[in-house]
Amino acid sequence: MWFPSFKSLSIFLFILILISVTHGIAHASTVRFVDGEGETLAEVEFKLHQEIVYLPVETLKTAFDPEMTHEYHRPRKQLILKTKGKELRLRMGNTTVNIDSGKQTFTLPAPPLAIEGQPMLPIHFFRKILEHLDDVEVLYNPNLQRIRIIPKTAWALDISDDTREWTIIIDPGHGGEGDLGCKSQNGLLEKDIVLAAAKEIKKLSEQHQLSIHLTRDQDTEKTLIQRVQTANREQGRLFLSLHCNASFSPNHKGMRLYINNPNGQPRFRTSEMPRFGKKRLNILNQANYLKQSKNFANVLQKELNFLAENPIVITEFPIITLSDISMPAVLLELGYLSNIDDAKRLSNPDHISELAVAIIRAIQIYSASVNQPSKSNGFSERKPSDTN
Amino acid sequence: MNLLRKILHSRLFMVWGSTLVAIIICLAITLVLIAHSKRTRILDAPSKLPDTANPTDILPPPEQVNIFLLNPTSLEITPVQVELRLYSEPTERLKQIVSALVQETLPNYRNPIPRGTLLNEAYIDSQKTAYLDFSHHLADGHIGGTTAELLTVTAILKTVFDAFPNEIIHVQILIDGKEKKTLAGHLNLSQPLRF
Repeated sequence: MWFPSFKSLSIFLFILILISVTHGIAHASTVRFVDGEGETLAEVEFKLHQEIVYLPVETLKTAFDPEMTHEYHRPRKQLILKTKGKELRLRMGNTTVNIDSGKQTFTLPAPPLAIEGQPMLPIHFFRKILEHLDDVEVLYNPNLQRIRIIPKTAWALDISDDTREWTIIIDPGHGGEGDLGCKSQNGLLEKDIVLAAAKEIKKLSEQHQLSIHLTRDQDTEKTLIQRVQTANREQGRLFLSLHCNASFSPNHKGMRLYINNPNGQPRFRTSEMPRFGKKRLNILNQANYLKQSKNFANVLQKELNFLAENPIVITEFPIITLSDISMPAVLLELGYLSNIDDAKRLSNPDHISELAVAIIRAIQIYSASVNQPSKSNGFSERKPSDTN
Repeated sequence: MNLLRKILHSRLFMVWGSTLVAIIICLAITLVLIAHSKRTRILDAPSKLPDTANPTDILPPPEQVNIFLLNPTSLEITPVQVELRLYSEPTERLKQIVSALVQETLPNYRNPIPRGTLLNEAYIDSQKTAYLDFSHHLADGHIGGTTAELLTVTAILKTVFDAFPNEIIHVQILIDGKEKKTLAGHLNLSQPLRF
């Protein structure tokens, strides 16, 4: 009797150890550095000190400048970094960063520290200082521990007058008492979340000299026709419909992007334009803007992936919300209200702000690329394309 | 002995005894029902036979068919084999198969058809388009969300196309006999659909 129970106990302990080890590996404490395209530059293990993320100095070499050198004077606790033609002096326990002998000085919210004898830099160093060392923009996602280092391209520096004249239509889905959209277990309503997100985008757009028009700015019911009429009346150049997703499984989670395509999955019996006698009527609707909509979705995908645990999928099928929109149009599902984690995220105003920032960036990148087709990534389409 | 007789004839014993007997009977019925429901279910042919049915169609033999449900692990719409007694006439078969999909509740799968939905009528036209007329619950009882809407329509389309690979090419979904543009505001249902 004793032997089998000892054996089962050993097996149980072995499984327990195995689970703990694999769990540890799966959730290793690392910060992932990604480039503008979302490709991983480096994945670096961090140490936590008073809930602040600290990274080894060598991280700068792997993620930012391969030619970076550093000297650490242990007795004086002084760290000298040479990167991008600049010399930075830091002292362990001191929040001041000195660049080129006092030409520039910055104060960090947390000081660099010697942890286990090794000089370590706080996450704030990467967020705040790198932008002053090179022509880059640094974004930090604390939830997923991701840092995105993007070269400052022409779009960010020089938004043309043409782009400033663009009106971008943001369409918060559903609304009113008759159309709540989907809802979470704890009573969050899709119509409220998408309205909050749309208002945040509009607020941010004013800082970025973008003209944004909302199809509804209150909790009111709008028909599809009214939304289309608003978009056309405002002479919109881009249309983004915001929604929250739901599924019959609580395991579905994450953001999704959708494009209207009558030949998607599922597809219509026919996607041909109506005919008048022998002549094909070329009605201006979403089918004419399929290529531009795909490009806009690709830019949104790239920007929003930084906030997503898993890569965002773009799906094409006949979408009623977008079918009559005569401009590039995309439907964005911000997350699943049927998933506990997603619902929690969507109820957090900070997450909504992060989403709004990413959406504004995507709009800027797309519109600048259309206006500057000669530049890399330029989408040289200003007019409706042929279907498919 | 007298005491025992007294107890047996007492009012309290009669009340509690009959209650106990009733509970045992209820338990036995419940167990029988559970055991019965765990067996492979064979949907009975509807009591009303089609006009074209001949006497040999009265009790068709069971057949294996696939209905498509949501696998909560893979998060895909996957085939599940069920046994049905199907008529040979295509429209009747279609009604039986889609009705089976609508009613199916398997413990390890999720049915993406909203509860309470019924198939009112089904029809296949000469262009191999199947018209499926559902009760209003399919739209009114829908949880919303693009994914959920796609899962519902995908389950219907896959179930139909798997059972009728040559006879049906497109499916038009109707609600209470009328065309409805969408179930929950995303997927366009204004035309017949296919994969």
